[in-house]
Order: sequence, then structure tokens, then C-alpha cells
Amino acid sequence: MFQKLYDWIDERIDITPIWRDIADHEVPEHVNPAHHFSAFVYCFGGLTFFVVVIQILSGMFLTMYYVPDIENAWKSVYYLQTQVAHGQIVRGMHHWGASVVIVMLLLHTLRVFFQGAYKKPRELNWIVGVLIFFIMIGLGFTGYLLPWDNKAYFATEVGLNIAGQVPLIGDWLKVLLAGDAQIVGAQTLTRFFAIHVFFLPGALFALLAVHFILIRRQGISGPL
Amino acid sequence: MSDEKQQVTRRQFLNYTLTGVGGFMAAGLLISPLRMAIDPVLQPSKKGDLANVGLAVDDIKDVPTRVDWKIDQVDAWYESEVSQTAWVYKNEKDEIVALSPICTHLGCTVSWEGNDQFPNEFYCPCHGGRYTKDGTNIPGTPPLEPLHQYEQKVKDGMLYLGNPHPRGEA
Amino acid sequence: MKKGKGMKFVGDSRIVDRPKNTVPKDYSEYPGRTEAFWPNFLLKEWLAGSVFLVGFMILTLAHPSPLEGMADPTTPGYIPLPDWYFLFLYELLKYEFASGPYVILGIIVIPGLAFGSLLLAPFLDKGPGRRPHQRPIAVTMMILSLAAVCWLTYESASHVDWKARAEANKPIPKQDVEIDTSDPGYAVFKDNCMSCHGEDLSGGAAAPSLIGIDKTADEIADIAKNGTGSMPPGVFKGSDKELDQLTKFIVSVNKEAKK
Repeated sequence: MFQKLYDWIDERIDITPIWRDIADHEVPEHVNPAHHFSAFVYCFGGLTFFVVVIQILSGMFLTMYYVPDIENAWKSVYYLQTQVAHGQIVRGMHHWGASVVIVMLLLHTLRVFFQGAYKKPRELNWIVGVLIFFIMIGLGFTGYLLPWDNKAYFATEVGLNIAGQVPLIGDWLKVLLAGDAQIVGAQTLTRFFAIHVFFLPGALFALLAVHFILIRRQGISGPL
Repeated sequence: MSDEKQQVTRRQFLNYTLTGVGGFMAAGLLISPLRMAIDPVLQPSKKGDLANVGLAVDDIKDVPTRVDWKIDQVDAWYESEVSQTAWVYKNEKDEIVALSPICTHLGCTVSWEGNDQFPNEFYCPCHGGRYTKDGTNIPGTPPLEPLHQYEQKVKDGMLYLGNPHPRGEA
Repeated sequence: MKKGKGMKFVGDSRIVDRPKNTVPKDYSEYPGRTEAFWPNFLLKEWLAGSVFLVGFMILTLAHPSPLEGMADPTTPGYIPLPDWYFLFLYELLKYEFASGPYVILGIIVIPGLAFGSLLLAPFLDKGPGRRPHQRPIAVTMMILSLAAVCWLTYESASHVDWKARAEANKPIPKQDVEIDTSDPGYAVFKDNCMSCHGEDLSGGAAAPSLIGIDKTADEIADIAKNGTGSMPPGVFKGSDKELDQLTKFIVSVNKEAKK
């Protein structure tokens, strides 16, 4: 039944070569922890992606309850955390995932760095990777404000003040982020929400796609 | 290919046109969203109306006194009443000085003679930041700049205060 | 891919009509100890992923994500603190060479150099050798920066009393206590206590709430004069009459709250 369905689709769009390339490629011995236990360091990249998946899923579900408005944002988070079944867990996944993803990303970066895996011909993929790192930091910064609790509010105010001290474009940059010259308030929250939920994830998906395509094209770096 | 003049080939011409049309579509699509996104930057900075703080100029002493007042704050579609605080006094030259109580270290609230060990100084309870009477931070304590000063004016014998600014910019 | 005459396509599409062959690569085609990604290696990865997920969920269940009280710009004495992975930057800005007049150094030059060289690492470290000992400069710089970041983070975090912080900032459902601001005791409170205990007595980062305390007027007077816990002695600087008004006021607010 499934075979027939698959053949029917495959005849029309020829999908076999696409997934065969992913499925059949060889995994070399030196990255396989079954042969060399120390090869577990190669897991960090995959685990980073795994946490990103956790973040995307939990984040999507959180928006079912969350409202980006200064009157209601905190109340909606408080409600989903105290009243909604498993709301505590979903928010916990997103909260802890944000920290864990930075840790895994850091470990992955250090693995690549100390193995010199960014050397020719993999320079471009390193740059894409560092850009992903910056995006993650941006996601962390914008996501911190969204619960609209005191911690979020005051940390963001400090962050915006730092942005305001950048020479020449500082004031401009601060207003662009905060939406108002003096107040960290209603417009700041909606802006951070938009950046956190649409702009940065969009950029993240594009960069992740490039990252993975480059890995498939270039193959994993050889043993030291 | 004809000689003399460098000719634009058909393919080049079509490529340029494609870029042009693509640029037109991108611009048409993005102009309004971008203008909307940067709107706050282009808003003329609200000089902030100065508010009557309910203190007669004659009542201002030469010892810093805490003054509280309320202003209506309009944050886009959200209007609220927020309370403001200042330490107000007259200095030796009989000028009115209105200092913001926000510690320039990490934003705690300072108070005049907030600690018995340091008379005649502003004291921040969070990390022991100290300021002299004119708001200058005392070297060796955490704050790195003087207390901010409120924009001020006097009308009908009453004190009006606006927004706090770093000293020298007020 | 083959091209040219004699090729057959599916209908009018560009999909080549070819005999179906979905048999995977034979295992003998994997030389040495390499193996197929699907399903052999992916299974191992997912096993590792499962262990990771179990650990992650235990962390999530054991430590519910914190939520402080609703943002209130007028919270007295709130000490801002960023998320942990920004602490090193936050700490850097506390140093004299990176703040005040040199703030450009702290917010642009130092982080810019660090992250810029991270981004451009492949072009700065161009030698052919990949082993760490073949590129001493790059490796030393990385270790030094890592050490600096760790040390700054530690310095910043060690100054924070995390427990007290979490305790003081617990979300308290707003108490509906009418505070009689015309009470003479409120004026005394305003002058002596408000900068830490807040306009509505509900406390802040520097001091706890004064509502819901079970103390007599004498005990309150003693604390006002002599301090308690992290509250230093001598905070109250009024006359005895004012002290009396203050304690009566606080007791009355607490009575009101109990109703």
C-alpha cells in the first residue's frame, strides 16, 4: 500500500535521489562514537539543532497563549504558567532551551575551532555558523523581554542604554529598537516580539539551510 | 558583434532589465514597511512638557528636599500616570537645582543623607554609591557620572520640571 | 545525468522516466569502518538525543522557569541583571577602562575585536596545519578569550545573591490595600522608608514588603531604628513622635490587609 503510494509519487516527482543522497552517504569512522568514544564531540552540532527544534516547537505553542501587550503580556505568561495544564513545562522547555542552546552552540564552535575544521575549504561554513551564533544571541536578548516582568524590563533598559551609547548611530539605533525615545514600553514590546518571532527565526532558517547544504556538499572534515 | 561601439548583447540587456524590474518589485514591496518600521526614529523628539511639581519657588530650601509629582505619559496607544521624583534645593548662587534620584551606576534610588556616615551627600543603598550636594559622583564609589538634572523653569512662582538629562546636556 | 535523444520523460514533465530501483547501497560498498547514515548512524544519534532529551526534561521539571513580578518602571531600587550569557559584557562595562569616557572601548572596540576575529577566524589563521599545536597564536588567543569570558561571568555572578533576589521578586498578586496617604504616618514613611520599601509598602529589590508582617508597633520601631538583616541601623531619622506615627501607620495598614 505504502510502497504503491510511494511509487506513484516517485514516478511523478522523482524523490528517490534526493533522500538517497542523505540516507546513503557514508559516515566515516572518526566521527562515530561507537568506534572512538572521544568522537562524542561531533554530537554537539546535532544536539544544537535538536534544541533549536525544541525551541521552535515550544515557541509556536507558547504563542497560543501569549499576548505582546504591556497590559496583558505578564498576565498571559502568569496564566499559562499557573492555570494551563503543562503550561509550566512548555514555558520551561523554552526558557531552559534558550540557555542550553547557547551552551551547545558554544561547545560545537569550540570543537570546530580546536580541530581547525574551519580551514580551507570550509571557511564559508564557519562564517555562516558564527552568523547563526549572533542570531541566537539576538533571539536571547529579544526573548528575555517578552514575559514583561521586572527582570526583563530592567535588563532591556540596560541593553537599550548600551545601544544608545554607540557613537553616531546610537540614539537612532535605540529608538529603532525601543520604538520610543524615552519610554521602554508598549512599542518596545511589540517590536521585540516581531523581531523574536518573525525576523530572527526567518534569518535563522535561511542560515541553517545553508549550513546543512554546505556540510552535505563538502562532507565532514577529516580526522586530525 | 558589431565592431567600433561596444554593444550591449541581448542577454545583457535582458539581465539589466530583469535586475531593474526585480528592484522595482522589491522597492514597491518594502518602502512602506520600512518607513513604518523607522517611523519612531523620525518623530521629532518630544521636548517633554514641563510639569508643575506643586512646589513654590519661595519654599525651596537650601537643603535637598524630595519632591514627588505625577505626569501623564503617552506611550503610543497606552496612556498612564507615572510618578516622578526629584531632589530640589537652592545652591549658593540662589539657583534652583533639581536632581534625578536615579543612581547612575545601576539605576537604584539615591537619597540625601541616606546614610549617617556620609552627611551632606547623596547615598545609594545598593552599592554604596555617593554624590556630593551638586550631584557629582565621588571618585572611588561605583557611579561613573553625576546625577542627572531635570529640565526646569519657573512660572508664576511655581517650579516646573521636565525630563532628566545628563549634566551638561540639560 | 544523461542527456540528449532517446530520453524518456514522465508525461510532459522534466522528470526522467527510469526503471525503479530503490534498493539501498550494499553494505560492502562502505569501506573500512564507515557506515550508512540512514539508518545505522542516525539510530545512534537519536539514542544520544533521547538521553539528552531525558536530561533536558528533568532539568525543566526540576526547575520551573522563573517569573518575577510584572514590570513596573517605578520599582524602587531594582538592580538590573541580564541573562547569564550577557553577564560577561555587563561586567566588562563596570571597569573604568571600559565605561564613562571610554565606553566606546567597552561596547564597540573590545567586543567588536573579539567577535570580529571569531567571524573571520579562517582568514586570520591561514596556515595549513589543523592541529592545535601547529597554530599556537590562534589557540592561545581563543583560550585567553575563553578564560576572560568565564572569569568576567564568574565575577558578575558571584556578586549576586540569587536566592534573595528570587525571593524578593516573586510575583505577588496585587494586594488591594487602601493606603491612607493622608495619615501623618505616611508622610514619615515617605521620608524614611519609601526609597526602599516602595510607594505602596510592597517592597522592592532592596527591601521586602511591609504588608503582611506580623509585628507589633514596638518591634517595628526597633527595626526602624536598629535595622535587621540587610537593613542597616539608623535608617529612621525622625523624632520619637514621628516614629510613633510611623509604627501606628504600618500596623494599621497590616490590619487593613488582614480584613
